[in-house]
Amino acid sequence: MNTQLNRFATLIWLTLVMLTIGTFLIGEEVSAGKTVMLSVLVISLIKGQLIANYFMGLRYVGWLWRGVILGYFVIVGSMIAIAYLN
Amino acid sequence: MNTNITLVNETEDLPGDFAIWIFILAEMLVFGVMFIVYAFARSNQIDVFNTSQLTLSRGLGTLNTIILITSSYFVVRSVSAIKSNNSKQSAHWLIGTILMGGMFVAVKLWEFNQKFSAGITLETNDFYMFYLTLTFFHLMHVLMGMIILACIVYKLKNGVYSAQEHFGVETGASFWHMVDLLWIILFPLIYIIR
Repeated sequence: MNTQLNRFATLIWLTLVMLTIGTFLIGEEVSAGKTVMLSVLVISLIKGQLIANYFMGLRYVGWLWRGVILGYFVIVGSMIAIAYLN
Repeated sequence: MNTNITLVNETEDLPGDFAIWIFILAEMLVFGVMFIVYAFARSNQIDVFNTSQLTLSRGLGTLNTIILITSSYFVVRSVSAIKSNNSKQSAHWLIGTILMGGMFVAVKLWEFNQKFSAGITLETNDFYMFYLTLTFFHLMHVLMGMIILACIVYKLKNGVYSAQEHFGVETGASFWHMVDLLWIILFPLIYIIR
């Protein structure tokens, strides 16, 4: 059982590393722009959800705490996007 | 009616001490406000922020992100090990996490040193003020996390934790993941988007 969970954690870790490299490549290859900003923020939201749900273990807790972390990323990310779109 | 059927609650309690979750929320709130203030401050001086941001090394920022993500993975493995009653392995994974934390600190100090050598201070402009303040504040949390994890390693080595009693390990793990979560926003905000 634990071996399976460990393998799953390794998969999540690999996904997080790939998303980070993706973010780096976007920053390196594309100079600027609204699409870049929004893409990077969405990648951050996905990374945050992977960490909260599978590393912190919130996936197995009630919906409230998952919602709090998701809400945090959505609200902070949206506010950043609004500031950048202004 | 079958009275043997029991309702199974599929959800579990929050990992670790409940108090750490209140602390995590408070910390995330403070950082969240600072992230938003940074974004709105930038909208008034876009050129200054963009030009200054390009002097940062996106490579080092990415390296530190991968270091933190990997350290978080090590913490997951440590919790998994103690749940299997393997305190020795659990301690080893945590030592790995602390070493990763040390690498993060080294990269960050290298970055700070480069900036200070170039004559950049808090007063150079608003971007550098935010960059130095936010990353320094985050760095303090990394150091705090390393101290917390070192205490847990000490307890693991003394047989305090087991498969039945691993509350403390989960509490420390949750704190460390929070440090990672904050960096997940801080990294693209400061280093990437412009």
